[in-house]
Amino acid sequence: MKNRPASMAAYLLQRIYLLLLFVFLATPMLIILVFSFDRNRFPSIPWGGFSLAWHQAIWTDSLVVDALWNSVLIAIGTAIISTALGFVAAYVDYRYRFRGQGLFVGLIAMPPAVPASILGMAMLAFLSRIGYSGRIDTIIACHVALATSFSMAIIRLRLGEIGSELEQAAWNLGASRFRAIVSVVVPFCRQSLIASFFLAAAISFDEFMIAWFVGGVHETISVRILNLLQGQVNPKINAIGTVVLLVSVVLVVVAQRFTRLHPPSGQLY
Amino acid sequence: MCDGEERPNASRRLANRLSAPSGPAILGVPVLLWQVVFFAAPLIFLVVITFWQVKSFRLEPAFVTDNWTRVFSSTSFERALWNTLQLSLITTVLAVVLAFPAAYTIALRLSPRMRDLAIAALVVPIFSSYLLRIYAWQLVLSPEGLVNSLWTWAGGQVLPLLGGGLSLQIGLLTLTLPLAVIVLVLALSSVEKSQLEAAENLGCTRFQVICHVLLPSIRPGLVLAATTAFLLAFGDYVSPVFMTGSNPPTLSILVVDTVKSGSQWPRASVIGVSMLLLLTTIFLLARLVPTGPSRKRWRS
Repeated sequence: MKNRPASMAAYLLQRIYLLLLFVFLATPMLIILVFSFDRNRFPSIPWGGFSLAWHQAIWTDSLVVDALWNSVLIAIGTAIISTALGFVAAYVDYRYRFRGQGLFVGLIAMPPAVPASILGMAMLAFLSRIGYSGRIDTIIACHVALATSFSMAIIRLRLGEIGSELEQAAWNLGASRFRAIVSVVVPFCRQSLIASFFLAAAISFDEFMIAWFVGGVHETISVRILNLLQGQVNPKINAIGTVVLLVSVVLVVVAQRFTRLHPPSGQLY
Repeated sequence: MCDGEERPNASRRLANRLSAPSGPAILGVPVLLWQVVFFAAPLIFLVVITFWQVKSFRLEPAFVTDNWTRVFSSTSFERALWNTLQLSLITTVLAVVLAFPAAYTIALRLSPRMRDLAIAALVVPIFSSYLLRIYAWQLVLSPEGLVNSLWTWAGGQVLPLLGGGLSLQIGLLTLTLPLAVIVLVLALSSVEKSQLEAAENLGCTRFQVICHVLLPSIRPGLVLAATTAFLLAFGDYVSPVFMTGSNPPTLSILVVDTVKSGSQWPRASVIGVSMLLLLTTIFLLARLVPTGPSRKRWRS
């Protein structure tokens, strides 16, 4: 088939189209990276020459450093709590059949489907009313509400592969329900727990709308970027962006390394 | 055989509770509470304050329908609503149409190894700073930006790339395209190849196979890709702000401005709740779409 000229053309067209798509997706990231090392104040062509000035400048900007530190703290807090809650939610959904199960799962799965601007506004309105807004842990709490959806999904996928006989064998050997969870189910899910941890961290690190609303005076690095973008053009943004992109990409790649976010290859046909 | 002796008392007590019929209740309570306090309650409260009043810059409980009538009779809301609907419909169509050929190649024409690599490459942008990538597009498209500095160097006039429908759609596609491609790849991967081969063996052209076999059997995937793209574009704040300078405003911009630049919480809530009602309606309508001749589930 591939020898026919028409097929050959189709083959080439398909590859070129796919390449263009990836160029479209990669271009913005590469631009941030390349111009963070540009000597010019305003990114333009031709390049002004290699310089580390902006990369050095961001580490002496206390607003940026504080925001980065906040983000790291919030991302780690979110990752730990989301993974724990996500595991429990996935386990309950997998193990039990109960009334209101759809509602239970829906309540955890739905937050990412609500536009962040509305969710952020609603969270601020409610949490300030009950006197719990404008704190670092407020941002963590709200990020957890968002990220647990992804944690639950990743872990639930893995639980579906466990096979009911494994846990039952543990029970038959005298393990309690709790012991079976700790010694059999958790180890079985270890990879997906790690994936969930890194993905939740990436989601939190990247999130700016909710953090902007509920954070009060506490800025995360993404909120700092948003505030910088709303002001004058600032050549530091590229350097901050490079650091942030690097962190995000590493977190997502590690998360993917520990999970399959796609159907198993070769098994379908 | 039983290792009960070795188990500490506390864990045995917990174990007994877990084996009781109320197992799911105890295990599920913390996560349920968390989602109620930080997700459900805020949204319910949002609905509640659409009926409240602002008196001397303070939000006060009341039951007035004034906020609803004011927002719905204001021309700025009406214009933002139509603008937002229009731009998110355009994004939806563009995202699905542009995503399909790429998803087709990835799912059916690449080797399993390359397919996995392509999917991994698509997942990365979904979770890595959308905000920064929009800023990068600003650098590319602005009057002093990269495209224009090349263009004027080549002797052209400065092109007004930033600030129109084109730049807005570039921004929104940055957000929606990777997800649309992934959804369609997953849908296409679960189509049975024997079906496609059968159609080809019966003399169908490639085009006929796509139109009469492939597209109908991935209808749920198409609907999911479209609704996801619509949802993201409809609620997005970043692209309209940075790619068109909030002109014309969208509903998300209206929400943020109403909250940030004053104490008009009830009116902002009316806009937010209206957006949620509209999105819910669209999701319910999408579920009415028949799932096609071969009801295949895909994994997501």
